[in-house]
Amino acid sequence: MNHLADAKCERATAWLRAALLLASAAIPLSLLWDYSWESTIGIDLVWSPPHVTNDLGVALAGCAATALLMRATREGTSGVRIGRWVGPLGAWLAIWGACAFGTSLLFDRWWQSSYGMAAGIWHPPQLLKAAAFFAVTLGAWFCCRGRLAFAAAGGGVLTMISVVTLASIFPNRQHGALFFQVACATYPIVLVALATAGSSRLSATLGAAIYFMLIGAMVWLLPLVPAEPQVAPIYNPRDHLLPPPFPLLLIVPAFALDALLRFFPGRTRRFENWSRAAESGLTFFFLILVTQWLFAQFLLMPASDHWFFAGGGKQWPFFLKIHPSARTVFWKIPGEELTLARSLGAAALAVLAARVGLWLGAAMKRI
Amino acid sequence: MKTGLLTALVFLLGALASRAHVGSPDVFFEGRAGTMPVRVVIRPPATLPGLAQVDVHAIGVSAVFVQAAFWDAGKDAAPEPLRALPVANGALFHTALWLLRSGSYSIQVTVESPRGRGTVAVPLNSAATQRPVMPPALGATLAALGGLLFFSAVWLAQSAARAAGVRAGKVACITTLVIASAVAAGAMRWQKMDRDFREKALSKPIPVVANIRAFATRWLLHLTPPEGQSAAADWDTLVADHGKLMHLFLIREPDFDTFAHLHPVRRDPVTFEAILPPLPAGAYRLYGEITHDDGLSQTLMTRVIVPSSLDLRPAPVSLRVPTLRELLCGPGTRLLGDAPQPFALDPDDSWRTGVPDMVSLRGSPLEDGGSMLFLKDDAFVQNRETTLRFRAFASTGTPAAIQPYMGMRGHVVVRRTDGAVFTHLHPGGTISMAGMEVVALREALPNAAPLEDPAIRGNEVSFPYAFPLAGDYRLWVQIRTTERVLTGVFDAHVASSR
Repeated sequence: MNHLADAKCERATAWLRAALLLASAAIPLSLLWDYSWESTIGIDLVWSPPHVTNDLGVALAGCAATALLMRATREGTSGVRIGRWVGPLGAWLAIWGACAFGTSLLFDRWWQSSYGMAAGIWHPPQLLKAAAFFAVTLGAWFCCRGRLAFAAAGGGVLTMISVVTLASIFPNRQHGALFFQVACATYPIVLVALATAGSSRLSATLGAAIYFMLIGAMVWLLPLVPAEPQVAPIYNPRDHLLPPPFPLLLIVPAFALDALLRFFPGRTRRFENWSRAAESGLTFFFLILVTQWLFAQFLLMPASDHWFFAGGGKQWPFFLKIHPSARTVFWKIPGEELTLARSLGAAALAVLAARVGLWLGAAMKRI
Repeated sequence: MKTGLLTALVFLLGALASRAHVGSPDVFFEGRAGTMPVRVVIRPPATLPGLAQVDVHAIGVSAVFVQAAFWDAGKDAAPEPLRALPVANGALFHTALWLLRSGSYSIQVTVESPRGRGTVAVPLNSAATQRPVMPPALGATLAALGGLLFFSAVWLAQSAARAAGVRAGKVACITTLVIASAVAAGAMRWQKMDRDFREKALSKPIPVVANIRAFATRWLLHLTPPEGQSAAADWDTLVADHGKLMHLFLIREPDFDTFAHLHPVRRDPVTFEAILPPLPAGAYRLYGEITHDDGLSQTLMTRVIVPSSLDLRPAPVSLRVPTLRELLCGPGTRLLGDAPQPFALDPDDSWRTGVPDMVSLRGSPLEDGGSMLFLKDDAFVQNRETTLRFRAFASTGTPAAIQPYMGMRGHVVVRRTDGAVFTHLHPGGTISMAGMEVVALREALPNAAPLEDPAIRGNEVSFPYAFPLAGDYRLWVQIRTTERVLTGVFDAHVASSR
């Protein structure tokens, strides 16, 4: 009887974790949909389908995490205790993220009605919202057990990073220093943590593959939906939703990191973490540099003007006034030229990020 | 989360927000769409992107369509026209249009009736007009929620550290430090964004530097952009409105007892000059109205002290001999060259010193011994559409024949006593005639015909308007009769709509 109850209980917990995982994937996907909606239709209402999906995603995460917490408290399992409540750290994080999201919504409504878009992006409500989304997706990652679920949740976090840094991953910017600096400062944290904390030998590779599929799905599916701009000026007419930029080929450095961290364990005890971080960071830097350098060239060529790649310099938000000659070239933005010094800076950022990833992976294993 | 990163790029690259008029964002147009008389009222949104509310008054029409086009893209790059819905006994049609960014839009109104179809394009300056203010209750709620999030995050970090066997106190300190730094950085960012928004995006009069120096026996007024803003001024892209590159209004403070309507000439792309008429010494508020070749109208604003006169003999008013590079006074919109020298007062300059004894709600004596009557059917209410109607009478008491003054039957300058509202109206509404012509040219539409032919004789002139704020206003009404420009002065009280 106890076995039956345990099994039932375990099943219920698994469902809750699955719901949390689903919510963590829904958040970045709905944000990509929102980007596509704004870039195609232009009218951005509070109750537009992407916003509702996003709200539901966070609500689902908050509810699933609360249920996990209640269940853990009732069962008296170990975990992070606050007051008389106890539960997995991930559930706490997701609940905190849901609360932060609610606060940011209130803040953002006021901001939009006061400043509109005229004050620019990365305003305080957006920053709080981004923190909330990361808390939810990280919470889901911390909660997920099992090889695939853990990698999938990591893939959700990778997708979230791409969404937040969307402006830097346009193919036209992928020969610039900013792209490499941003990529090196962010993705290695997740990839290295995946490679070190995952129970699969190919956790990082799996995570990067899921990241690719998540963004890829939006690249492939969104342009199938008919939609037209509803507000002038329409510099780039559209009749279907705009696809987001093609996902980065993170799978290449992810596989290398899996190989490096799993198959070639550290050889020195002294400064082991830093030496592994250096190896991992530099590996990521060189591979992302080579991979994206070449792949971005392809994405600007007419050959990539295809449903699958959504390239060829054809996919632009309707409101963006961009000269035809600027659509298929790499942009030379002042201050973003990829010089030796900036390359070294990106490499250093990758090493630092890898070190954080090692710390995060160790913490995840411990918790 | 708004992911419109590229949207933001477009907005940040947008024109410096500005608007013709001060504190009076609504646009009124009265004229003809084809052959059909229409009155168009556009209430632009306070923030962008936002909805502009469009009302079209038209009698006997079967359908009204409205479309918003941006200046550098045109109607081919605009969404399909929206059909406005009739809302009141078939004479009023309403719809709402989305505006995306700041700059010059044209709102194209097409009316259909059994008699035919006509289109008119009304220029609209789109900009943020609202100063952000957070309600105290919302501020307190957000502060409480923010505090709760802050402390719960620290508590969570501490509890997690305890569960992981790490020093909880140290983790709590680090978390506090990190979140406090993030909050401080966010607050600094907010301050910077707010400052940039108020300086660059929020609609407001454009500052200008005014200096006065002696020029023969007269004072010469010299206008330049503030230091470092010459490039942003774009004075080399101006078009003539009623044949003038700038309409400058001087209002003596604090009693508003002197009013002048002058037309400075452009000396070079960063300088305007005007000979001042014999105005009493004192502090004056200056409002300069200009229109750019994209249809964007702006109001320049500053203060200047007019010194005691060198010589109060009126300067000779003479028509200047046009040269290739000289400003031409005449109707039509065109890019004009610079004037070599402001030799004399412009023939269309006009001024009135001293407040008539009987400034009132009803009547005002005119300089030629005649009078002007302010016809009011009802009390003025904030934001309620009205028609300001005036009748002019000769000194004999007979109706005065109004002649066109710069192509119009009349001009009204409306100013709330505290300066929160300033606008310049024509019988055609609040819009700049140059802006109107620019958008008509751009969209290959015929010029919007005025509702009344300016050549028609008669003693009444009317202006569509809605006072945007409650309070006390002064109105200066300018007409031309018997080849002389006359100014009637009126006061008006506007009741709150609440």
